[in-house]
Amino acid sequence: MSMKIGVFICECGPNIAEHIDIDSVIKKIVATEEFKDIELVIKRHKLLCSNEGQEFLEKEIISNELTHLVIAACSPRDHESTFINVCKKTPLNPYLFKMVNIREQCAWIIPDKEEATNKAARYIRAAIRRVLYQSELLEREIESRPDVLIIGGGIAGLEAALSLASKERKVYLVEKKESLGGKASLYNLLLPRQSGGVDEIQKKIQDVENSENIQVFTETEVESVVGFFGNFEIVLKSLKADESRTELKAGGIVVATGFDLVNPQALSGYKYTKDDDVYTSLEIEKMIYSDGKVYLKSGEQPRSVTLVNCVGRDEKGYCSRICCGAMIKIAKAIRDLSPDIKINVLYRDLCLPHKEDQRFFDEVKESGVDFIRVKGIKLKERRIEYTGMDGSKSEITSDMVILAPAMVPAEGTEELAEILGIPLDETGFFQEAHYHLNPVSTTTEGIYIVGAANGPQGISESILQAQAACGKILTRLIPGEKIVPEVKVSEILESFCTGCRTCLEVCCYGAIYFDEEKGVSVVNDVICRGCGNCAASCPSGAIQAKHFTSRQLYTEMIEAIR
Amino acid sequence: MKDISNKGALIPVKGGVRKTILEFAKSLLREGVFDGILISMRVPAKDSYAWVLIKDPSFIDKATPLAPIIAVQGAKALKSFTRKGKGSMKIAAVMRPCEIRATVELVKLNQIHLENITLISIDCPGALPMSYYIKNPEDGEKDFNDLFSGKDRTVSTRAVCQICDHFSILPSCDLHFGLTGEEGEGVFLIPNSEKGERILKEMKIKSSETLTDWKNSVKELIEERKKQRAERFQEVKSMVAGFDSMLDTFAKCIGCHNCQSACPICYCRLCYFDSAVSKQDSDFILQKARRRGGISFPVDRILFHVGRMSHMSLSCVSCGVCSDACPVSIPVADVFSYVADQTQGTFEYRSGEDIEEAIPVAQYQLEEVRGVEELIKQAEE
Repeated sequence: MSMKIGVFICECGPNIAEHIDIDSVIKKIVATEEFKDIELVIKRHKLLCSNEGQEFLEKEIISNELTHLVIAACSPRDHESTFINVCKKTPLNPYLFKMVNIREQCAWIIPDKEEATNKAARYIRAAIRRVLYQSELLEREIESRPDVLIIGGGIAGLEAALSLASKERKVYLVEKKESLGGKASLYNLLLPRQSGGVDEIQKKIQDVENSENIQVFTETEVESVVGFFGNFEIVLKSLKADESRTELKAGGIVVATGFDLVNPQALSGYKYTKDDDVYTSLEIEKMIYSDGKVYLKSGEQPRSVTLVNCVGRDEKGYCSRICCGAMIKIAKAIRDLSPDIKINVLYRDLCLPHKEDQRFFDEVKESGVDFIRVKGIKLKERRIEYTGMDGSKSEITSDMVILAPAMVPAEGTEELAEILGIPLDETGFFQEAHYHLNPVSTTTEGIYIVGAANGPQGISESILQAQAACGKILTRLIPGEKIVPEVKVSEILESFCTGCRTCLEVCCYGAIYFDEEKGVSVVNDVICRGCGNCAASCPSGAIQAKHFTSRQLYTEMIEAIR
Repeated sequence: MKDISNKGALIPVKGGVRKTILEFAKSLLREGVFDGILISMRVPAKDSYAWVLIKDPSFIDKATPLAPIIAVQGAKALKSFTRKGKGSMKIAAVMRPCEIRATVELVKLNQIHLENITLISIDCPGALPMSYYIKNPEDGEKDFNDLFSGKDRTVSTRAVCQICDHFSILPSCDLHFGLTGEEGEGVFLIPNSEKGERILKEMKIKSSETLTDWKNSVKELIEERKKQRAERFQEVKSMVAGFDSMLDTFAKCIGCHNCQSACPICYCRLCYFDSAVSKQDSDFILQKARRRGGISFPVDRILFHVGRMSHMSLSCVSCGVCSDACPVSIPVADVFSYVADQTQGTFEYRSGEDIEEAIPVAQYQLEEVRGVEELIKQAEE
């Protein structure tokens, strides 16, 4: 089949036409000796991206039976896709088309018209030589997976699972502990009315376990994730002795890994041992949950209790938001034991953002709980030295001390961030795409962060975020929808691959695997994004990036500098 | 010399150092510590040496534990039977230090697998230029024997050998024979790894000698060689500074690619410079000739050498087989050693030393990206 290259130069209104002598460019190209054996159809047009321009192109491609196409116009970022769509309406494969930027790279940056004209001619000549080495590439469709992986079986994960699961959408819920429920299932009393919420949370757990559309993996963690929105390939690892692996595919991932509390004994200024009656808020919650009341190690009721807020806030650099409310709740629980217990609450600041909080705080204060604002605290066993707002130093020793430690991201967050390829912010929690405008998405499409994994927050906020992420998934990950994976992927020639595995080191998408039997590397062409890192790094030249092969790039470069 | 043990065994020399080493190799086979020994052996025509894998102890007598020349780089021999993975035979390879260093680089590139392989090296006095040896092998043998025994230290070894500062024990060998230079005294057998220590234990050899004197004399020689290396590199610099110098230095090159064939690090199945991509069409070549007034053949000679440098200089171990292989006697090894010194220095990387240290070009470290981001931020501020 003989080759016929269409070369269309766009005036782009005055943008190109005023700075480049287009007729001169055409003359130069036609006069190029090396092109004497190639059939060229060269035309200029006022505005190729307009409707009229696109129709013109379509007609020219079909009537001239063009085998290749070069368009010299604006930046490919502007209109490459426009012209690709025109090709799709013709028999011409859109990958036999090369776009040349003579606007941003010539007309707009070179004031001298002759110089700009020469450069434009060079670029177009280079593109003509290159396009002859381009190959037809065929796009294909794969089905996008509507299923969702939820990492973490706490309140946020449970909520997301229940909202998403349906006959057409399976949910895989992965939890590293033995049972579902997370921290929320430890609370007997929920703010603000001290009403139980325990039953509701237990019901959610049961609903999840009974659902046909939710597959629960306990004592399991995520080992690897590759892929992209609509097509994630996941490997789970069981934490039991057999360490068995499960392979899954999902279209979206919800990260709901929750929080841990910082260990006060690791902070400077907090010296105590497990024999002292010093507890963290979570330990008290557990105590109330199992025994219905607060009591000392000796089993007796405390006569005095000091609660300390903001533990570790300076070191961490952020407020953990829910501890003030929780501590007031605990103070009330202790007050309910007896009106005679001396209760002090030492705090740096008070955080009472919810609409019920202020009233609850007033109630508890009225009941004879002393709220003392302090600048700094030192704890030795049960003796507290604190500095008041006026700088004066005082001391309190109580029967029991309860600390409210800062919330920190759950153990394993750093490793999970690496596996998923999503960033953490300076506080160590997962980074949201935009703090105000996109709070549950991440920089990776299809991966969402909800609940305390996103940042310190309570049960109601966690549920809100879970529902927000579900909303995004329900509208965008539609069952039956097709995705077209990248077509300009890398290709490894088996006969040249020496098995050095350099490409595996540099692929940040996990798109290359090593075939142990053959001793060669192989590209997963669904996951590959065509970044070209592997092609650049292969010492043996065994990898070519489709549409950017060595041959194509070399030819274009040589012609451009001829 | 980093981190080597302070003690070794002193093996009494009987019939010459090389014979003594052969006896040790024989006993390794006889005791069943190894199934095979990879060692050099003189070819029947007596004009060269080849690598042989020996299972029968009686053949060891015919072997030569340090040949006068390097015909095939030892790492290549190891690669040919471990590339696809470890074998079941336990093998000891007796090689020169530069061959051990090349082995280390090939391990990093997944071309050699060292499980079941033990590396044994020997203090190397250098090797004779192939062209000299080939002309008169008997003279070559005598010269090398004199050099090895210390009788005649003025024998001219290859250019790269004269400036080699890696001729003694290296971090990656398992056992090393340290020569004292005194024929009668004995030769040190030094365990340099857990593998090495296990072998000496199996052979019931105790490492009870302190090595201070030997270490000091090796250190002295290393310092001397380092000086000579720096001096030589100054000369080489002028040979390659600028395109014109490069053209002059490689003017004789006939494009045979022998240097690439001989190089242990060049293991690609199809060299880029032999592939279709590097071939030009005639119009292009004639265009060049027209524009410049003339063109010499083969084309792209400098591109080949510069390209080969950019592909392998991070792993170059200055073994010098490239110079030996060049039919027109271009000092390829000198040039490549100089460039490798520069490129490796840029990354603070030394080829062939630490087997755990990855080759810079094959690493992707997120921290390095952060470093670049910092630089950009600083520049913007």
